[in-house]
Amino acid sequence: MKLTTSALLGLAVGLMAPAVASAEPEALRIGVPTTRSGPYTLLGDQAVRAVEFAVGEANAAGGVDGRKVEFKVVDDEASPDAGRRAGEKLASEGYRILTATVSSSVGLAMSTQLNRWDAMYVSTINKSPKITGDSCHPRMFRTNHSDDMDIAIVGPWLKDQPQKTWGIIAADYLWGRGSGAAFKATAQSLGRKVETEVFPPVGTTDYAPYITQLRDGGVEGLWVALAGADAINFIKQAKQFGLTDKMLIFGHNVVSPSTAKAVAKEMVGIWGNMGYAAAIDTPANKAFVAAWKAKYGAEPTDYEGETYAGMQVIFAAVKTAKSVAPADVSKAMEGLSATTPFGQVTMRAADHQLEEPNYLGRVVEKDGAHVIVVERTFDAKTATPGPNPACKL
Amino acid sequence: MLINALNGLVYGSLLFVLSAGLVLVYGLRRVVNFAHGALYMLGAYIGWSVATLYGFAAGVVAAGVALAAVGVVLDLVLFRRLAGRQPLITVIVTFGVLLILEDVVRSVWGTGNRALDPPAALDGVVEIFGAPFPVYRLFIVAASAAMAGGLAAWLRWGRTGLFVRAASHDASVAAMCGVRTAAIGPMVVGLGAAFAGLSGIVAAPFLSIHPSMGSEILVLSFVVSVIGGLGSFAGAFVAAMLLGQVQSFGTVLLPELAALLPFLLMAGVLIFRPQGIAGTKG
Repeated sequence: MKLTTSALLGLAVGLMAPAVASAEPEALRIGVPTTRSGPYTLLGDQAVRAVEFAVGEANAAGGVDGRKVEFKVVDDEASPDAGRRAGEKLASEGYRILTATVSSSVGLAMSTQLNRWDAMYVSTINKSPKITGDSCHPRMFRTNHSDDMDIAIVGPWLKDQPQKTWGIIAADYLWGRGSGAAFKATAQSLGRKVETEVFPPVGTTDYAPYITQLRDGGVEGLWVALAGADAINFIKQAKQFGLTDKMLIFGHNVVSPSTAKAVAKEMVGIWGNMGYAAAIDTPANKAFVAAWKAKYGAEPTDYEGETYAGMQVIFAAVKTAKSVAPADVSKAMEGLSATTPFGQVTMRAADHQLEEPNYLGRVVEKDGAHVIVVERTFDAKTATPGPNPACKL
Repeated sequence: MLINALNGLVYGSLLFVLSAGLVLVYGLRRVVNFAHGALYMLGAYIGWSVATLYGFAAGVVAAGVALAAVGVVLDLVLFRRLAGRQPLITVIVTFGVLLILEDVVRSVWGTGNRALDPPAALDGVVEIFGAPFPVYRLFIVAASAAMAGGLAAWLRWGRTGLFVRAASHDASVAAMCGVRTAAIGPMVVGLGAAFAGLSGIVAAPFLSIHPSMGSEILVLSFVVSVIGGLGSFAGAFVAAMLLGQVQSFGTVLLPELAALLPFLLMAGVLIFRPQGIAGTKG
């Protein structure tokens, strides 16, 4: 008899279970294939922190579209092969909305598998123009600025600068050379002359020969396209040689919290584009920065702000789609309007690039501390060049 | 042009201090120490930590002393056992030490870039050839010259220096003559590591301090010791100065080839004078 009761009870629970499940909608599962080892770990840390923060905030507010939000992180080792494996693992475990990958090459490697995995990928950090160019994909989106967008705002800035002769120092590899060439074209179209160009190899320790060459060249302005430790070495040495005080310097991807942490003092005066800055003046950003500071005791970095913004776009798409199926969410993404720290932004349907404002800033000394300030804001229309015709969705 | 020569002198000086440690260890132990770059990096980090609290001079002392201790341990635990083994084994083991030390630094200090200011007294510029030149760079030349001079004098005229030279030349005969070769090993490797640590902290004020800074400069210090003749102190000096000038003038005169020049030079030496500038045959 006892057995029958428990059996009945079990049956009842069994019958109730599906009812409970249907009352609670399927969770929104975010897959985070990002860098947890190697030189990019620091960047991956920031991406993960931003996802964690955005998910925590959304769940505290009752979820997204009434759904609980979950996320899982797998190391992409910053390599296309490992990244593809990380994406596949996440997708097979039901985390089919992928985001927060550091390296463009990993993002591009995953994009070829999205249909097979029935997944989608939202770039929040990758800057390669290919993501929304000739490698664009119906299931791939970008919420951060591309390299092309960063270059697009240099023209309007350069127009207002009196310096007529410019030099270029760019790292001797694809990105540096590309950046240098793009600046040269922009400068020449505005009647500026590029007189000295130097291309130090990646990992250069002593920039003195380049610095003296640029100084002796007598140019009035300088375009710097060096990354990571190279940028820091150059900024330190340029300041020590008095170059920074002698000419106007613009650093491509140089004005960032991670660079400023090492050489804020030496950076004072150097202009640069900023993917995101805590100083962006929108209500959504002010709320975000305040909440972030309360939790972590520091302002969000560029990668953190960009990834948080990308999460808001994903959440908005899920709300619009009323579904977590990547096919539905991808569809809802096209033409979607969302509120992010960048303000009200739109996901362009033609190439899946978010149309958003872009910023130039500098490090300034304020009350004895060095802070990054936004000096120029360019509206989404100026900052987002038209879709690349090479992208066919 | 003169400014380029000066730039080359600064860089050559830094390369020399770094390579001196490598040469010392190879001379005695016949160990090609791939971990040398990591010792340089560790010196920069330890020096940075101490310098930010107690000033630059304390940082220099701390880097030298701490790395000397690391060197002694390395010799007692590894190099002593590796001496006489196949070169490939020593290369793999010391490369392993490099990887371990890089990870240790990552877990202690994190992966972010750090920077150190030159001490206030050396932070200005002086007018040289009509253009400002950082005083700190002149200090690098002076510090390297002092270290090189001290080391050379010690090896040439000091009693222990004599023992080191004897043990490097032939350890067994030196031991038969009453030299305590067992004590010479840790001392020389400790000194070599201290040189690496000192070059790390001396380089720190004009470089970014980060975990892979050692592997970046390691290659060039190998080029220096190969061109100079492995194990030759004077050869390393000539080679480092030469390489500094090649880098400096190459960048200005042959920008497309500048990155390749040190290796062309090394290839040339290996083909036409495999023992290096000052090395002896065999």
